[in-house]
Amino acid sequence: MAKLARSLVRLKSLRPRGRHLIILLPPLLVLAGVALAARRSPVAQPVAFNHRKHTKDLGLGCEFCHQYVTTGAHAGLPGARNCGICHQVEQGKSPEAARVTALLGRGDPLRFNKLFRLASHVNYTHRRHVGIAKLECRQCHGAIADSDRPPSRALVRITMNVCLDCHRAKGQSLDCVACHR
Amino acid sequence: MTRWGMVIDLGRCTGCAACEVACKSENNIATVSPDQADLGRAFAWMKVMTHVEGEFPNTTMRFVPRPCMHCDNPPCVQVCPVGATYINDEGIVGQIYARCIGCRYCANACPYTVKYFNWLVPEWPETARAYLNPDVSVRPKGVIEKCTFCHHRLQKAREDAQALGRELREEDYQPACAEVCPTGAIVFGDLDNPRHRVHALKDDPRAMRLMEDLGTEPKVYYLTPRD
Repeated sequence: MAKLARSLVRLKSLRPRGRHLIILLPPLLVLAGVALAARRSPVAQPVAFNHRKHTKDLGLGCEFCHQYVTTGAHAGLPGARNCGICHQVEQGKSPEAARVTALLGRGDPLRFNKLFRLASHVNYTHRRHVGIAKLECRQCHGAIADSDRPPSRALVRITMNVCLDCHRAKGQSLDCVACHR
Repeated sequence: MTRWGMVIDLGRCTGCAACEVACKSENNIATVSPDQADLGRAFAWMKVMTHVEGEFPNTTMRFVPRPCMHCDNPPCVQVCPVGATYINDEGIVGQIYARCIGCRYCANACPYTVKYFNWLVPEWPETARAYLNPDVSVRPKGVIEKCTFCHHRLQKAREDAQALGRELREEDYQPACAEVCPTGAIVFGDLDNPRHRVHALKDDPRAMRLMEDLGTEPKVYYLTPRD
């Protein structure tokens, strides 16, 4: 109690400017906390997948691993079955490739983690955008195909304005229920 | 211009409530406990209203399935302060849950009482949780929800038609209630398209709309029973 009274006295004795700062501090802390929480935590992957090696050097198409990119809502992530097509036996000299073969040998499912998470009220399908409208992957995903290690965050931040700008430019629907569900 | 609408033949409706059940399961409609339902917090985007005619023992039961009327002049849209509910170019009155602030003006403005407020966090029996429709969002607590004419089905139907490179047909897009109606009482389509059944049915001499005098211009028509 005495401690509280003393701190109150000290608060009163502060100049008005200082007092404002103290009053403002809690809401500022809350705001900072909210901003930190809103930032997604970094995403880790089971192996350091090299997109550039696979897409540029080996010339594999995106749909080799992201199987449902033209037909499904989600593009799909590869797993042990996809990787095993080539990595069942050792490929190349990279130590990471050797590790993939070792992990596959141990029966590891190689679960990759999603970088992009859509809000639950958005009705998006890859089929509509890639399968029908034939958009390039990099339009929304940036230069992921050129990356040589898995990024811990999405390379592009997609907001509703990004969607709307593209829809406007391509003369597509701007109706709310066309994308919100 | 497309104007989606519905014609319900009351002479064919047997009151089986298949439309109600189909709607609830299609649109992830939350279950509400009996005591909350007593407070008027249960949801029914599609509701079979009942009405008893005549004096006992000479009585007749009348059934009136009542979805959102998707009015051409919707009172709910006029009162929404944040543009969460609006009418689109095809006449569907949409409800954007992420934008709704839960003021409930629209629910009070709607003369058909088809807008429902989420008083509680939605709940389902444990066994039903696995069967939620992924094409429809689960509404959070504190927003208004309503019949959308199964708009997600239109999105899917359009996508399918585009993928096949053909025009959208009447049978491609049917809401869940119209699809399951065992007597074919619920007919759905484009009111302005002469090739759709509703185009002729809406001009049938038996056709009427609920509370027409209010000037809301509903797009749900009823065919009065023949007897």
